[in-house]
Amino acid sequence: MGSVSAAPTALRAATNAEMPLPMITEPAVSFVEIETLRAREFVPAAKEALGSMLSEQAQGKLIRPMFNWAGRNSLFPLHWGLACCAIEFAAAFGARWDAERFGVVPRSSPRQCDLLIVNGTVTWKVAHKLIALYEQMPEPKWVIAMGNCATGGGPFRTAYSVVPGVDKLVPVDVYIAGCPPRPEALLDGILRLEQLIKERKE
Amino acid sequence: MEAEEVGARLRERFPDVVVEPFPGTAGRIRFPAARLIELLTEVRDGLGFDHLGQVGAIDWVEERELFYTVWSDRAKQYLFLSTRIPAGEPHLESLTPVFPSANWHEREACELVGITFDHHPDLRPLLTPTGYQFHPLLRSFRLHEPEELEVKVRDV
Repeated sequence: MGSVSAAPTALRAATNAEMPLPMITEPAVSFVEIETLRAREFVPAAKEALGSMLSEQAQGKLIRPMFNWAGRNSLFPLHWGLACCAIEFAAAFGARWDAERFGVVPRSSPRQCDLLIVNGTVTWKVAHKLIALYEQMPEPKWVIAMGNCATGGGPFRTAYSVVPGVDKLVPVDVYIAGCPPRPEALLDGILRLEQLIKERKE
Repeated sequence: MEAEEVGARLRERFPDVVVEPFPGTAGRIRFPAARLIELLTEVRDGLGFDHLGQVGAIDWVEERELFYTVWSDRAKQYLFLSTRIPAGEPHLESLTPVFPSANWHEREACELVGITFDHHPDLRPLLTPTGYQFHPLLRSFRLHEPEELEVKVRDV
């Protein structure tokens, strides 16, 4: 983390009107360090910080439930549409169903997301891109297979180019049936995932 | 432009092509595969069909058919051309030197119908994944169990 200390100096120089803007040739925090920070599991860090103040029993009752509560009320799905299920996905975030009242806010970058909703037919051509998106998401992360295509290939299961179920590529937590599922079904799937997160232990 | 006119203008240099009338177009030409580059250059420069819209391929079991659709922006007309090659030896000269837009169409015909285009600049698969072993639009392609078609995604 040695290069982190360079950041405040650079920022102070940039905000000073008298001085010319510095030419930033390299980022203050390297790419690998950002990834490490994001991927770090929070619970061990919190236990380390609060270990002297709380007993073992109090830690178990407080830290994990608190993080689960925060995590399940601010699920950020990736804004990624594959097929007609993406239309229902969009409708679920519109005025009528308004999924944002559950704290579900679609984000455009996988690095800001903790939920991957696979909404459509996945072909073998696009499979490694899906894996790349999944691997860019920080831990902890969840996957919802939305619709029959993502669940098991759907009507295209025997086609020559279709992945027969997205669980061949990434681990799936919740499967939603339907072709396509209605927005209510997607909301039900999200609420079931929130239940799963609520029951999450170490 | 009518099919008779197309035939009359091609007859001298290409006695081995057949021009038939085709409703709504300037006609349909059947030609031997060896004369592809020569004929398409003449169709582009001599007859003024300056846009290649489509290259398609059909599997007729014993032989495979290639068809080309060209469009004349001046005459506002299509012209269809087709040729047949034996299925045992499915390769043909690439049309990319004459019409650069043939590039992706030929890549698609290569992976789906299994026709090799000689002197093509870049014959990678366009629609099917890297390492895919099948030509799915051949009539001999049977329905597979999904597990048989699995692609090793991690190696791509």
